[in-house]
Amino acid sequence: MSAATSAPGGVRTLPGWLGAATSADHKRVGLNMAAASLVFFLAGGVMALLMRAQLAQPHTGFVSEGTYDELFTMHGSTMIYLFVTPMALALAVYLVPLQIGAAQVAWPRLLLGGFWTWLSGGVVMQLGWLTEEGAGRAGWFSYVPLANDLNTPGVGQDLWTIGVIMAALGLFLVAACVLATIATRRAPGMSVLRMPVFTWTELVSVLMVIGAFPVLIVAMSLLYAERLGAQVYTGFSGAIDYQDLFWFFGHPVVYVMFFPFLGAAAEVIAVNARKRWFGYPAFVASMLAFAALSMSVWAHHMFTTGGVTNQYFAFTSTALILPAGMEYLGMLGTLIGGAIVLRSSMLFALGFFVQFLIGGTSGIFVASPVLDYHAEDSYIVVGHFHYTLFAGSVFGFFAGVYHWFPKVTGARLRESLGKVHFVLLAVGTNLTFMPMFFLGDYGMSRRIAEYPTHPSWGPLNLLESIGAGIIALAVAVFLVNVGLSLRRREPAGDDPWGGHTLEWATSSPPPPGNFPAALPPIRSYAPLLDLREQKRSALAGGGGT
Amino acid sequence: MAALGRRPWSHASVPAALVETHATYQHVFDIYVPIGLGVITLFALATLLAVVLYRRRPPEQAARFSSNDRLEGGYALLLVCTIAFLLYITFSAEHRVDTVSAREQPQLVVNVTAAKWEWHFEYPSYGIDRYSGAVGSEQLVLPANRAIRFRLTSADVIHALWIPALSYKHDAIPGSVQSFTLSFARPGTYSGECAEFCGLMHSNMLFTARVLAPSRFLAWAQAERGSTGARR
Repeated sequence: MSAATSAPGGVRTLPGWLGAATSADHKRVGLNMAAASLVFFLAGGVMALLMRAQLAQPHTGFVSEGTYDELFTMHGSTMIYLFVTPMALALAVYLVPLQIGAAQVAWPRLLLGGFWTWLSGGVVMQLGWLTEEGAGRAGWFSYVPLANDLNTPGVGQDLWTIGVIMAALGLFLVAACVLATIATRRAPGMSVLRMPVFTWTELVSVLMVIGAFPVLIVAMSLLYAERLGAQVYTGFSGAIDYQDLFWFFGHPVVYVMFFPFLGAAAEVIAVNARKRWFGYPAFVASMLAFAALSMSVWAHHMFTTGGVTNQYFAFTSTALILPAGMEYLGMLGTLIGGAIVLRSSMLFALGFFVQFLIGGTSGIFVASPVLDYHAEDSYIVVGHFHYTLFAGSVFGFFAGVYHWFPKVTGARLRESLGKVHFVLLAVGTNLTFMPMFFLGDYGMSRRIAEYPTHPSWGPLNLLESIGAGIIALAVAVFLVNVGLSLRRREPAGDDPWGGHTLEWATSSPPPPGNFPAALPPIRSYAPLLDLREQKRSALAGGGGT
Repeated sequence: MAALGRRPWSHASVPAALVETHATYQHVFDIYVPIGLGVITLFALATLLAVVLYRRRPPEQAARFSSNDRLEGGYALLLVCTIAFLLYITFSAEHRVDTVSAREQPQLVVNVTAAKWEWHFEYPSYGIDRYSGAVGSEQLVLPANRAIRFRLTSADVIHALWIPALSYKHDAIPGSVQSFTLSFARPGTYSGECAEFCGLMHSNMLFTARVLAPSRFLAWAQAERGSTGARR
C-alpha cells in the first residue's frame, strides 16, 4: 500500500504515511475521511457522556453552565458537520466508483482538496476548546442575535463559524466529485436506471449537498461579518432571514445524513435476503420526491417564530409520508419470499428500519404546528432527531460497516462480537432516547444544564444516562471487534456474502484501478445476482428469464 | 360565572367557548399518536414475521419477483389518503389556535418582555409591572377562564415563552411584538420557562403563573394597582 506508485489518473503517490495522506485514490481518500469522521464520532460521544453525567440528576454541578453550553454546541456540531454528513460522503467516495464500475473518481485532486478542507475546518472548530472563552457555545444552529459578537463574544465562537464554513466548503467539493463521477464514469451498460440502490441514495444526497451547502456557506460568512461588526442580521427580519438561510441548508442536510445509510441498509437487506430490492422504480422516484420535498420543508423548524407560513410547511413536511412509506414497502417486499440470513449487518439493517420508524413518525408529529407549539425546543424534538440520526443513521452505518469491512480490509469482522455490539447498542439507544419523548411532553426544554426537581424527571434522566453508558460500552465492543479482526484476520475472499453489485466482482481490497478483469455484464441494478440466477436457471434446466 | 369580574378588562361578553390550546393539542395528539404507534407496531411485527418465516431457506428458494405495480399503487394511494386525513386534522386545529383565538376579544392584555434572563410582565390596563426574577420569584398572576392576549417581545436575543400545561409556546424575537391568546380552564399554579437557548443562564429563566378565579384576580389586580401607585 505504501509503495511509491503512480495511481490511475496520473496522480503520484508518496511513500509512507505522507503517501496515505496525500493519495488521491478514491479508496484512500474515502478511508481517510471515514477514519477522521470516526474519530470525531468518538469525540462527540465523549461530549454526550459528559452531558449525560451532568443531567443524571437535577443539580449535579458536574460541569458549569458555561461548559455545558459548549458541550451541547460542540456535540451537535461535531456529530453533524464532522461525523454523520462526512461519513455519508466518505461511503460514497469509497463505494460509488466501485458500484458503478469506475476505476477512479472524476476529479481526484479536487476530492483530495475537499477532504483536507473539511478536515481542517473540523480541527479549526475544535481548536475553540483551547481558547480562553472556550469552544463555540451558541448551539449547532447558532441563531442570531445570540451568536453575534455582543451576545457570544470570544475567539471560540469565531473559530466555530470559520470551522463550519471550511467544513461545508470541503464537503461541497467532495460531493461535486461524487456527482461528476456518477455523471461521467459509469461503466458501459450502467444506465442511470441500472445504478445500485446505494448509489442512487448517494446521488440524491450529493445533489442536495450541492443545492443546500452554498446557502450555509453564505449564511455563516455573513454571520462572521456580523461578528466583525457589520450590521447584517438586524431586527426581526434579520433574525428570521438567518433562520431561513440556515434551515434551507439544515433540513436537506438531515436527508444527506439519512439517505446513504438508508441505501446501505437496503443493500444489506437485499443481499441477506438473497433477493433484489423490491420496487426499484418506485424507490428511485421516491428518492427524487424525497429530495425535492426536503428542500421545501425547512421552515417547519420555525413554526413558533410567527415569521413563516405554517400551513405550507406543515403540508410539505407531512407529505414526506409518501416517499418514506414507499421505502418501507420496499424493505418488506424484499424480505418476503427471501432466504434470510441474520448476520450482524442484517441485524443492524433491520434495527435501522424499525427504529428509524420511531424517528420518522415522531417527525410527522412535530410537522403538525399545533403539536409542535408544545414539542418545539423540548426533549420531544431531541428524542425525535436522535431516533432518526442515532437509532437510524448510526445503525445503518454499522450495517454498512459489517457488510463492507471485508471488501475494504480483506478480513471479516467477528460475528459473535458483532451480535453483542448490536444487542448492547439497541438496548442503550432505546434506554437513552425513549424517555426523552416523555420528559419533553412533561415540559423539559432542551439545552438546559439543570432541571427542576419534578418527580419522575430525575429517574427518567438517570435512565437516559445509564443508556448512554451502555451505548459507550457497545461502541467499545465495536472498536475491540475492529482491532481483533484486523490483527487475527479471517480472510474474506472477494465476495463473502453473495453480493449483488459490482464492488463484489473485484478483489478485497480492490487493487488500484479497481477492476483488473473485465466487468460482468450489467443488465440491472443487481448484476451479480443476475449471473447467479442465470446459473441456477441453467442448472435447473429451465430457460431462465 | 359570566357576571364575575368582567370589568374593567373587557366590555365584550364572555365568548361561548375559549380556544383551549391544551385541549386542541390533546385532540390532535389523540389522533396522531395512535396512528403512529399503530404504524410502528404493524411494521415491526411484519418485519419480525417475515424474518421468522423466511429464515434458514436455501438460496435457490429465494423468490425472484421484484415489484408489484398494483400493490405499490394501492399502497401509495393509502399513504396519500393518510396525508390528507392528517392535514385535515392539523389544519382545522391550527386554524383554531392561530386564527380563531386571534379574533377573540381579549379580556386581559399582558405585555411580556423576555430579557436575559428574566421575564417582565406588564398589565397596561392596571399599570402593574412584575419581574419574574432570574429564578421565578415574582409570579405572573392571571384570571381563569378568560381570553388573555399576550404581546411578546424580547429585549436582547431570541427567547421562547412556554407554558407546558397549555401545550403552547411562542418565540420572543427582538424587533417584533407578537400576539397570541391563551386561556386557563382552571385556577392553579402553572410553571413556565424559556424554551429557546438564550445563553448562560437559560436553564434558570423560569416563571410561575398563578391562575386565580376571575373575582380573586380582580381583587388582586386592584390591590396591586394600589400598592404600585403608593410606591410611585
